[in-house]
Amino acid sequence: MKLNYLFPHRFKRIGMILLIPFILIGIYVVQYDIEPEFFDLSVPSIFTEEIMGRKYVFSMIDNNILNEIIGVMLIISFLLVAFSKERQEDELIAKIRLESLVWATYVNYAVLLFSMIFIFGMSFLWVMIFNMFTILLFFIIRFNWQVRNLNKTIGDEE
Amino acid sequence: MKNSIKVERAKKNITQAELAGLAKVSRQTINAMELGKYVPSTVLALRLASIFETEVSEIFVLEDKDWV
Repeated sequence: MKLNYLFPHRFKRIGMILLIPFILIGIYVVQYDIEPEFFDLSVPSIFTEEIMGRKYVFSMIDNNILNEIIGVMLIISFLLVAFSKERQEDELIAKIRLESLVWATYVNYAVLLFSMIFIFGMSFLWVMIFNMFTILLFFIIRFNWQVRNLNKTIGDEE
Repeated sequence: MKNSIKVERAKKNITQAELAGLAKVSRQTINAMELGKYVPSTVLALRLASIFETEVSEIFVLEDKDWV
């Protein structure tokens, strides 16, 4: 009954501190297609297929790891913000959490379905890249909005 | 489902926040239950009954719409 797969409350703050700069850096790097030489490394790869090129299986490949770093940090910080306990994680919060997760999943796939039908080529690749993060983003927005509303409805009694 | 949490609370003369502390939930949860917006788990219902020194069925009462 106590098992809920959530991080301790303080991790929410750590997640927020990481999330904001990495979103900004991510947008900047994507916008200007930045690949500093410093991040050019030889890295182990399970499978790599170059565009119109060779295939590599279990080998070392040359890669600019900046986008991987940003992707990993974004996912970790999104997860921390989304799934850290509230200050008082009681059963009502658990219910809101579940409902928000269902809602976020629907909205995320609605956006993806729409994009699948009306967006093509490289643009759709970008949709897929953003889609890696949007389910957690939608969840965070909806969940925190609901918790806020809950705090607002609480009237001054006695 | 109707409940008489507010009445029981008045009898015992404790605030929502105090009841929340005793029942180990947030004040928001107590408030949502009093407003009929949230139906508690069996464990929480039993805790409330224990705090008010009464039976669960004295606090929570089924309505016709609960059978639909």
